[in-house]
Amino acid sequence: MSDLDKAIAQLRACRPIPEAQVRELCHKARELLIEEGNVVTISAPVTICGDIHGQFHDLMELFRVGGDVPDTNYLFMGDFVDRGFYSLETFLLLLCLKVRYPDRMTLIRGNHESRQITTVYGFYDECLRKYGSANVWRYCCDVFDYLALGAIVLGASNNLTPGSLGVGDDPPSSSDMTDYVDHDIEIEVCNAEGQVISQFRRTRGNSGGSSSQGGGGRGEGGGADGTQGSSSPMRKSKSPSPGAPSQTGPPGSGASGSSSGSVGNPAGAVLCVHGGLSPLVDTIDKIRLLDRKQEVPHEGAMCDLLWSDPDEIDGWGLSPRGAGFLFGADIVKMFNHRNDLSLIARAHQLVMEGFKEMFDASIVTVWSAPNYCYRCGNVAALLELFEDESGTGVLSRSNGDVNRVAALAAAQAAAAAGGGGGGTDKGTMQMLENEMINAGRPGPGRRYRVFQAAPQDSRGMPAKKPVADYFL
Amino acid sequence: MSAPLIPNLLSLRGSRGGNRNRTRRQGGRGGAPAPGSRSGPDHDSIIQGTDTDAAVSRMSAVDLDYLHDPFAQYFVSSSPGTSNSRRLPIINRGTYTRTAALDRLVTQFLDGGDGPKQIVSLGAGTDTRPLRIFSDPRWRGMEIVYHEVDFPTMAEKKLRIAQGVPTVRIVLGNASVSPPQAPTTPKTASRPLSPPQRPGRAPGPLPETPTLEPTPPETMTWTSKPRLNSSYTFTGIDLRHLPSSPPATLLGLRKDIPTLILSECCLCYLTPSNASAVISYLTSLISPCTNPATTDTPPTTTPISLALYEPIKPDDSFGKMMISNLAARGIHMPTLSSYQTTLDQERRLCTAGFEEVRVKTVKDIWDTWVAEEEKERVDGLEGLDEVEEWELLAGHYVVAWGWRGEELNGLGF
Repeated sequence: MSDLDKAIAQLRACRPIPEAQVRELCHKARELLIEEGNVVTISAPVTICGDIHGQFHDLMELFRVGGDVPDTNYLFMGDFVDRGFYSLETFLLLLCLKVRYPDRMTLIRGNHESRQITTVYGFYDECLRKYGSANVWRYCCDVFDYLALGAIVLGASNNLTPGSLGVGDDPPSSSDMTDYVDHDIEIEVCNAEGQVISQFRRTRGNSGGSSSQGGGGRGEGGGADGTQGSSSPMRKSKSPSPGAPSQTGPPGSGASGSSSGSVGNPAGAVLCVHGGLSPLVDTIDKIRLLDRKQEVPHEGAMCDLLWSDPDEIDGWGLSPRGAGFLFGADIVKMFNHRNDLSLIARAHQLVMEGFKEMFDASIVTVWSAPNYCYRCGNVAALLELFEDESGTGVLSRSNGDVNRVAALAAAQAAAAAGGGGGGTDKGTMQMLENEMINAGRPGPGRRYRVFQAAPQDSRGMPAKKPVADYFL
Repeated sequence: MSAPLIPNLLSLRGSRGGNRNRTRRQGGRGGAPAPGSRSGPDHDSIIQGTDTDAAVSRMSAVDLDYLHDPFAQYFVSSSPGTSNSRRLPIINRGTYTRTAALDRLVTQFLDGGDGPKQIVSLGAGTDTRPLRIFSDPRWRGMEIVYHEVDFPTMAEKKLRIAQGVPTVRIVLGNASVSPPQAPTTPKTASRPLSPPQRPGRAPGPLPETPTLEPTPPETMTWTSKPRLNSSYTFTGIDLRHLPSSPPATLLGLRKDIPTLILSECCLCYLTPSNASAVISYLTSLISPCTNPATTDTPPTTTPISLALYEPIKPDDSFGKMMISNLAARGIHMPTLSSYQTTLDQERRLCTAGFEEVRVKTVKDIWDTWVAEEEKERVDGLEGLDEVEEWELLAGHYVVAWGWRGEELNGLGF
């Protein structure tokens, strides 16, 4: 057993490793991370996780629900530390796993991976308490500076891969599950035991086959199917097993709908970032150009990526957090269109149901800290994206213009044909482009696994419950 | 490098509340079974511990400049300068907001109209508000009658500080215990009354005055004269026994001057019927609702107001977790299930006889009562990256207030 494996075993038991070993680990991690770009490119399949915040036992529960490393590829979107009482063990374990399985673990930076924030929100105090000095905190902060700012997931399938159980099914002991693929399911929500809580079909384009494939038609379709998910015919109504989350809530906006139904139509890329977008960043390449190896600045593109939030506004707005910005649907759709993305996955905001899709499923918030701060009573979620096995998936980097230009040309031709002579004028072009922006690319198949906080005393841990503060 | 390194998170808390000195009164109280099944002596000491919780939160907010309160330091037990008292920004903002809200109501009450004013603060514990009020130049010459009511142990604790800390003693004046504890200890106790931050406090129990005959309800009352025209009274009594106590229990309670009753997270620890009884005991003492139909005395209603601060919404997922977390600490809030919403709180105050009632969540108070530049200042102290959590937490606490009597019209606005 290598030292690293020993360290992993020790950390999995929630026991910190000696300071000298932390130092070595952080050194190795930095060597590894320095080679990564600001935006890491990874391939599906991958399981995307949001904030963890030092809730070590819930991270163990996450691994139980999502599959252990290295069997499952993970992408953690930052905020490993602060707030919970085991930030140290949480971050060091993730870092060990990163060093041990560099291609199967991706860690990107959250706004709490910062010297300033960790001195306020607990990680600094925790290191001091557990080691008697701030050295370990310093080593960790040096690693923070090298964490990537984002990741792009390529090659995600439009379809869900089997892996969930129907309500009431037994665990997958036989092979009858393996060849079941419903190509129409875009979103599936499972509980911690893998039982399906709800499913959402891809909505079709307008049935009349009208010229407009996207725009309002799709938006309305998505809204109807998604937000009214409780009435969706696909929803399985049988109540989940006791102890399982009973209310996961439908995705905020729901299924996207312009699927042409072609076999293995590849989804666009998925951008993962902790917070969101920045007014200073209109292309992913601009992120690649940032100098990230520094403390998170108080303003600027790097700060925004880690601090911003989507909101029901037009354009950009001031953030109540005092850093980053609020951004509306138009911003997301334009960004996704320009960068050939089908989805932005981000974390950063507590959502009581664990995940929340917004803006016609163009952006999703994933939150992976159940009962946040031992107080909020929320459930957590992780997002699974699957590998496109048809061979037509987007395997190359895909934030170029190829697809968009081709599609636009086709639309342009169609418009010209229907327009009766007179070439396409600029206005028509603009209108068409706007429609396409609104429509976005079809999203990848997404399975959300929703889970609750780990029982505190089930893992041989001290039975002492963490104490949450209230206003008394 | 193993198990011992796992922080014992409760150890930070253990010294609070748990080790609190208690008189052995449960033995002496013999016949009085406490109303409410969970209200045994253990629960009482836990509830008293919430005062320590509040004091530490207040200290944290003061240390970080959220609040200005030169007296907060004298009421926290932990040695000063340690990080033990530092709370997270969300708690600091909550402490700030609730303090600002009650300060606003108290200030408007004191400033409304000339003449003397009376404040009755229930479950006051080690609250510093009377000290802040009596030392505030705005109300220097004003006649203020200030009552605090809490368990007898809290009365003793506060007396120790009021006598032991010169800064506090200067503001409140010399305390006299009344009724004079006749048979034994003279007022100058045989042991020096030491402020709680002295380490010497730990080993021994309180200088337990050989108890008088157990005459329920046990009380421990002390008074002082902050200035010639004003008085301060701490009535140490189990609030549950107040409604059945003789009218003179609250020494020096005035029935002729505008009165504000405060309950900062206090009545919520009683059963709903107990809490209502406490309110009606006070309102009927101070400002009896004279019904012209049944009495021939002319209606002389003393203006009276009540301000409550307590949690609501026990039924959503945050609220359920709150109930269960507090229960794990042994804290139960029986009124919470009776007054679950802002509407319930409004009805409650109406039923208690207040003519005008208002309710605001702590979140609303932050949003609407705290001025923009003040918000900016407060946010600048630490930064708050807990926006969603703030909305949850602050949405689960309300300040509810009501009043009767024209003099108080517009209170809170």
